[in-house]
Amino acid sequence: MLKAFPASDLHERLAGFDAGVLAPQERTRALERFFTVPSGRAHPGRYWRVDIEGIVPQASTIAAADGRMTIGPGREQLATPAGTMTIDNPHPRALACDIVTAAGVHGPLFARAFGATGIGATKFGALTTAFAQLGAFVYLPADVAADAPITISYVAAPGQTLFPYTVVLAERGARATVIERFSGGGSFVCGVDEIVAEPGADVTFATYQDLSPDARFVATRAAKAERDVTVAWVCAELGSALAVTDVSVAIAGPGVAAHVTALFFPRDSQHVDAITTIDHAVGDSTSETLVKSAAVDRGQARFLGNIRIAAKAQGSDANLRDDALLLSARAHIDSVPALEIAANDVKAYHGATVGAIDAEQIFYMESRGIARDAAERMIALGFFEPAIAHFPTGALRDELRAALAAKLA
Amino acid sequence: MSETGLRIADLHCSVAGKAILKGIDLTVEPGKVHALMGPNGSGKSTLAFSLTGHPQYDVTRGSVRLDGTDLLELAPDKRARAGLFLSFQYPAAIPGIKVANFLHAARQAVRPGDLAPAKFRALLLEKMEALGMDPSFMGRYLNDGFSGGEKKRLEMLQLAVLAPKYAVLDETDSGLDVDALQDVCDSLNALRASEEGRSAGFLIITHYPRILQYVVPDVVHVMIDGRIVMAGGHDLADRIEREGYDAIREETRALA
Repeated sequence: MLKAFPASDLHERLAGFDAGVLAPQERTRALERFFTVPSGRAHPGRYWRVDIEGIVPQASTIAAADGRMTIGPGREQLATPAGTMTIDNPHPRALACDIVTAAGVHGPLFARAFGATGIGATKFGALTTAFAQLGAFVYLPADVAADAPITISYVAAPGQTLFPYTVVLAERGARATVIERFSGGGSFVCGVDEIVAEPGADVTFATYQDLSPDARFVATRAAKAERDVTVAWVCAELGSALAVTDVSVAIAGPGVAAHVTALFFPRDSQHVDAITTIDHAVGDSTSETLVKSAAVDRGQARFLGNIRIAAKAQGSDANLRDDALLLSARAHIDSVPALEIAANDVKAYHGATVGAIDAEQIFYMESRGIARDAAERMIALGFFEPAIAHFPTGALRDELRAALAAKLA
Repeated sequence: MSETGLRIADLHCSVAGKAILKGIDLTVEPGKVHALMGPNGSGKSTLAFSLTGHPQYDVTRGSVRLDGTDLLELAPDKRARAGLFLSFQYPAAIPGIKVANFLHAARQAVRPGDLAPAKFRALLLEKMEALGMDPSFMGRYLNDGFSGGEKKRLEMLQLAVLAPKYAVLDETDSGLDVDALQDVCDSLNALRASEEGRSAGFLIITHYPRILQYVVPDVVHVMIDGRIVMAGGHDLADRIEREGYDAIREETRALA
C-alpha cells in the first residue's frame, strides 16, 4: 500500500496547501507519521475492503477556503470545493469559529487545544492534521454553561476527500454540548474530533454520521479529561460503506466521569470498525462504555473495547458493556474486549452479548397481537434505546430512531 | 346462532417429540371462569402454550375453536386478534420497549384504531391505578428488572387494557404475596364486572387453590399426566386443598 506514495510525492501533495493552521514542514511531518504509524490491524482486508492509503487526495483536490467565519452567536457557513461546514452557535459567551480563523485570531487559545490530546500521533489523526483546513474550534470560557447544543455540520461534496477537524476547549467549570453531523457524498472523509476539558468541565460531544452509501469514513476522536471532568462521547455511525471510529478518553486527573456510547448498524455490505479506549492513567475516576450494534444483510462490524488501568490508578471504576444483534445469517459482528489492569484496588466490569433476537421475546409480542415482522422491528429498535437515550436533544433522538427504523424496513 | 366458547377437543401436544397432552376436552363459555388445577408437570402450561401457538409446542391431534374460528390454523398474533390472551407465568423482558408503547401497539393490533392516543393514555392510567401501579411504570422497559409481583401486575394490566374474549392465566398467582394477589384478583373481578369484560371467558391455571378464594370459578378441572381426570364445582378446589393431588390420582387410577 505504501508503494503508491513515494516520499517524493509528499511535498507535491502539500504544495500550495498553506491554509494557516500549520506550517508546511509540520504538515509534511504529520503526513510522514501517517505513513509510518502502523494501522494496528494484522489483517486489514477483512474489515477494510478499501485501500484507504490509496485514496489520499492529490493536493489539487484540496482548495483553500474561500472565506473566514465571524465569531459569536449565530449561524456561519464555510464552503470549499471538497465540502461545507456550518456552525450553529446559540451562545453569546461561547466562541465557535473555523480553525483557520482560530489559528490566526485566537492563536494562543487555539494552541492550548489543537493537537493537545496527542491525536496527531495516531495514524489517521496524523493524516487529518496534515491536511487540516476545514474545521471548527469551540471555546468555552471558564464557568460558562452552554446547555443548548452547538451544532457543527459537515457536508462532503460528491466524490471529494474531506479532512474535517473539530476542536473543543472547555475551561475550568464550563459546560457544553456539541453535536457534530456528517452527511453528503464524499468519497473519503477522514476527520478528527478533539476535546480538551480543564478541571471541572462538563462536555458532551455527540456525532451522527450519515454519509452516502459509497463514502469511506474514518474518525479519530480523543478527549483529555483533567480533574473532576465529566466527558461523554456519543457516536452514531449509520452511513458510509466503511466507517472507522476510534474513540478515546485519557483520564488525566481524579474525579473524572468518562462516558463513551457508540451505536452502529451495518446493512447491505456496510462495514463498521469501532474502537473505544478508556485510559485510566490516574485513579479515583469512573468510566462507562456502552456499545450497541446490529447488523443485517451482509453487514459486518468489529468492535474493540479497550480499558486500561495503570498501576498507580487505584480506585478506578470501569464498566464496559457491548451488545451485538445479528439480524441475518450473513451478518457478522466481532466484539473484542481488551482489559489491561495493572492496579489491584479497582472495579472493572465487562459484559457482552451477541446473537439473534430472542425467540421468546418475539413470541411474547406475537401473543399480544403484534405481527412477527413488526415485533422484530420493535425489539431491534428497542435494543438501541439504552444508547439512544445518551444522545442530547429529543429531536436528535427521534431522528436516530427514524434512521434506524428505515434501516430495518 | 353462531358457535361461542373456547372449545378444546381431543387436544394432543408434544414438546421435543415427547407427548405431554394426551387428549384434552374442555370448553370455556363466555362470561364463565374455569379453573385448571394439577400437580407440577401435569401439562397445564403446555395447554396454555399450545392454545397460543408457541412454536416449540407441537399439536399432533385435536382442535381448538374460538367462537367458531379454528385457532390452530392461525399464527400466534392472529390468535390474539381473534380474542385470545395468555397471561404468562414467566413473561419475557424486552429492554428498550417502554410499557406504554408496547401496550399501545398491542391495543392497536387487537382493536385497530378504536382509541385516540390521549384516550388510550387515560385508560392506561386508570387501569394502572386500579392495579396499584405507579404511573412511572409506563416509562419503564417491558418487564426489564421487574420483580415477580411487578411482572404479574403488568400481565393483569395488559389483560385489562386488551380486554380479550378469552383469557388463559398461567400461574398468575405464583410468587405473589397476599397484597399483590388481592390487587391482581380485584383487577380480574373489575374486568369481569366491566362492559368490555362481562362476556369474557377465563381459564385460570393454578397449582394452589388460594387464588380461587378471590376469583370464584364456575368449574374446576383437574389435570394429571396430560389428561383431565376430574371436573366439578368450587368444592373440588377445597378438596384438593385438604387432600392434595395424590388422593385424586389414586381415585382416578382406581376408576380406570
